[in-house]
Amino acid sequence: MTGLWMQRPKLIHLGIFVAAYIAGCAFAQVLAFMPGTGISIWLPSGLFIATLLLNSGRNWAWWVVAGCFAELVANMLWFHSPFPAAVLIYAGNALEAVTGAWLIRRALGHPVRLDTLQQMLIFIALGAGIAPIMTATVGAATVDWFDMLSQNFWTAWPLFWIGDATGVLIVAPLALAVFQNWGETSRLSTAQWMEISILALIFLGIAALSLGHYLSFTYIIVPPLLWAAVRFEFKGAAIALILLALITAVFTMSGTGELAGVSDSPKERHILLQLFLAISAFSAMVVAAISRQHRLGLLTLRQSMDALRDRQWELTQLVNVVPSHLWRLTPDGEPIFFNRRMVDFLGMKVADTDRPGSTRLDVLIEAVHPTDAPDFRTSLKHSLSTGEPFAMRYRLRRADGVYRWMSSRADPLRGEDGRIVQWYGLCHDIDDQVHAEQALRERERGLQELVDALPINILSFAPSRKMTYASKRYIDKVGAPQPHIENFDALAREVAHPEDFPKMFAVASHGFASGQLFVNRFRRRDSQGIYRWIEARAQPLRDASGEIVQWYMVSIDIDDEMQAQQALRAAQDSLARQSQAASLAELSASIAHEVNQPLAAVIANSYACHRWLTADPPNIERANKTVDRIIRDANSAADVVSRIRALFKQSADTRAYTMIGNVVAEAQNLMAEEATRRRVQMDIDVASDLPAIFMDVVQVKQVLINLLRNGMEAMDSVSGDKMLGLHVHRVETAIQVEIRDRGHGIENPDRMFEPFFTTKEHGMGMGLAICRSIIESHGGRLWAERNEPQGAILLFTLPIELKVL
Amino acid sequence: MSQVKRIVAVVDDDPRVLESLEELLESAGYATRSFGSAGALLNGGISNIDLLITDIGMPTIDGFELRDRVKRERPDLPVFLITGRHEIADQGRAQGVGGIFQKPFDGQALLAAVGDALQHKGKGG
Repeated sequence: MTGLWMQRPKLIHLGIFVAAYIAGCAFAQVLAFMPGTGISIWLPSGLFIATLLLNSGRNWAWWVVAGCFAELVANMLWFHSPFPAAVLIYAGNALEAVTGAWLIRRALGHPVRLDTLQQMLIFIALGAGIAPIMTATVGAATVDWFDMLSQNFWTAWPLFWIGDATGVLIVAPLALAVFQNWGETSRLSTAQWMEISILALIFLGIAALSLGHYLSFTYIIVPPLLWAAVRFEFKGAAIALILLALITAVFTMSGTGELAGVSDSPKERHILLQLFLAISAFSAMVVAAISRQHRLGLLTLRQSMDALRDRQWELTQLVNVVPSHLWRLTPDGEPIFFNRRMVDFLGMKVADTDRPGSTRLDVLIEAVHPTDAPDFRTSLKHSLSTGEPFAMRYRLRRADGVYRWMSSRADPLRGEDGRIVQWYGLCHDIDDQVHAEQALRERERGLQELVDALPINILSFAPSRKMTYASKRYIDKVGAPQPHIENFDALAREVAHPEDFPKMFAVASHGFASGQLFVNRFRRRDSQGIYRWIEARAQPLRDASGEIVQWYMVSIDIDDEMQAQQALRAAQDSLARQSQAASLAELSASIAHEVNQPLAAVIANSYACHRWLTADPPNIERANKTVDRIIRDANSAADVVSRIRALFKQSADTRAYTMIGNVVAEAQNLMAEEATRRRVQMDIDVASDLPAIFMDVVQVKQVLINLLRNGMEAMDSVSGDKMLGLHVHRVETAIQVEIRDRGHGIENPDRMFEPFFTTKEHGMGMGLAICRSIIESHGGRLWAERNEPQGAILLFTLPIELKVL
Repeated sequence: MSQVKRIVAVVDDDPRVLESLEELLESAGYATRSFGSAGALLNGGISNIDLLITDIGMPTIDGFELRDRVKRERPDLPVFLITGRHEIADQGRAQGVGGIFQKPFDGQALLAAVGDALQHKGKGG
């Protein structure tokens, strides 16, 4: 119930509906000229159906109630039927409206539109044909039952049916058209207004004349009616029909109408009148529907034409605006279309290619650069004869005579039978691009020349170590990599000197793995098979995210430099050795002199003594004196030795607490160059938790240098890895230093520390003796052991709690 | 013992060597004159000596120079050079010259050489 209340139409709409319904009843009453029948043209039926069609099915109940109220009011005012009969007749009317609206909506959908003849015919058949059966049946039965108006069922039925059908025909289309087009305030032109006026005059005139018996035939009214329907469709037809009905009613009432006089039987006249109106209404509606359909058809056609024209205009614009040249050729290759841009570029239209004595295509080819024209012609002819697509770059002359590079392409359009109908061509101006490419190539060539001219070799490798580039100079110098040389590893193995390869490869592998720049000096074999020293530097190129995308390797020939350095070093070594030998010779000569003086005296005295004793008689006195001198001078010699020892013995003042690691590092630095020269790899390992030691830094450093150099020299004649280890660690209360070589080992471990003992060709045999003396003066010990699998270990200790000597 | 003792002059800046040579030569029956420097010998005169033994390495006038000066005055005087520096004995200046003894020298050999020299001199003169 609440739902029904919620669906209530606006009161004003209900009020208008009730008023219109009562007005329709009044019209029917007026036209009910047959006394007592009360049945005539029933306009409320059309109003009712149209109202229901315009509203949602959910509020139909409200309209049914409103209609009931209106009809009962009308009954009270004019019809004066018994109340039950009035209610029953209204029930018939309501049933008719609901049935008609429901059927029409089912057939035509919602909202109902009457745009075509088919829709109109369905509307008439259901609304004006079938729906009135309800009213007719219920109304006729009621009249018969209540014995009203002196009618029985069968006489009343047609009157009811035709009255309602006419009402539906006249009112329903008009109401629908008025309400549906309410918003469409289509203004009528002056010409239309004039046409309406003339039509109204003719219509009224004919109606008045024909119905007033001045014209003999009532149906003369039909042409103006159809005119109205043709020209103004439903509105025209409906208004004309209402006017006709009103005029008919007036004449019928006055009894002066033709219909009034056709027959004496009121019933017959009634039926004739209703038939006249029904047929007129039916005709007018059908014509209006046809007219509307025709007009809509025309409208659609015009809209389609307009759309087509717009589309064509757009396409033309597109073809002209597209920043390329578009052209079409006949299957023979004759140009038949250039787009606007092409026309502007060439400075000629297709029509301008018509020249006596030459084909259109020849005229077009004249615009192609003379150098490119033969190729253009050949290529295009080939495409035309084979149907293969045409594609080419060529220079085309602009209207101002400047040639510009074009990239052109043409494809055939084939008909359904596969034959070529036309060729479509597209041509871009790529002049700027071509010049940019040329500039780029020029630049690349310049860079290439620069790279080739630089006195360096350049290689590049992918992150996978795959070789990606070798500069010309490299290929000239080292030779093009063999097919099996695909990556850095193979290349290194191929060209690096076998002695240098392990170190070089280890450095490179570490560099590749860590992504750090790395530098290698090694001997590389050139294309002549000669090894030359080079310095190679490799650096990674990274992308924005830090990923390595390429390794660049630059190598420089440093062979001359290395040779010069080696010569210099050899000279320095020789000089140093000579100087060392000289100073040692000097020193030993001085020592010898110092010792020889007293020794000479001792020996001479000894001989003298011997002579005094063996003389005859022995001169004991002189012998004693001589012996005294011998003792004195021998002591003197011993003093000399003591003094020499004192020379080597440093005073404790030069000692200080020092970290052994620092001393090792200094010794390593001093020996680094020599290690490189001798191709010895030093492996230094100093424990980190060592305390400072009280020592003479210079002496300990000398010991380290001496032992390191001995180790290197021991490996001079060794092939293979030259590895010299220096390990420093703590052993109980001392720090132990171990120097391991991989030389030939020690033959005389017992004698090697004795002064003047040497296994070296040019050695003085003092080194290890002095070393031992220095270490012992620090309270430590120096000794040798065998290294496994080969070589020697020289070890010395330095006590952590040093006793000051 | 009526034979007049031959006089051997010895020059050395080291008194120990000087003493020991004096002792050795006297034990062999020579008379000796000892000088601490070349200058002292030259000042005293060389006319009455029969043989000269001189150290090489000495300040001011060394043994070579002393020998040269003595030879200019007395070319026939036998001169023996002694040295504690072996490299001097190897020097070019000393090459080809007889009578160089390296300290410590063999006493017998020195006495034999002195004896030879004086005997030759005696025979010759």
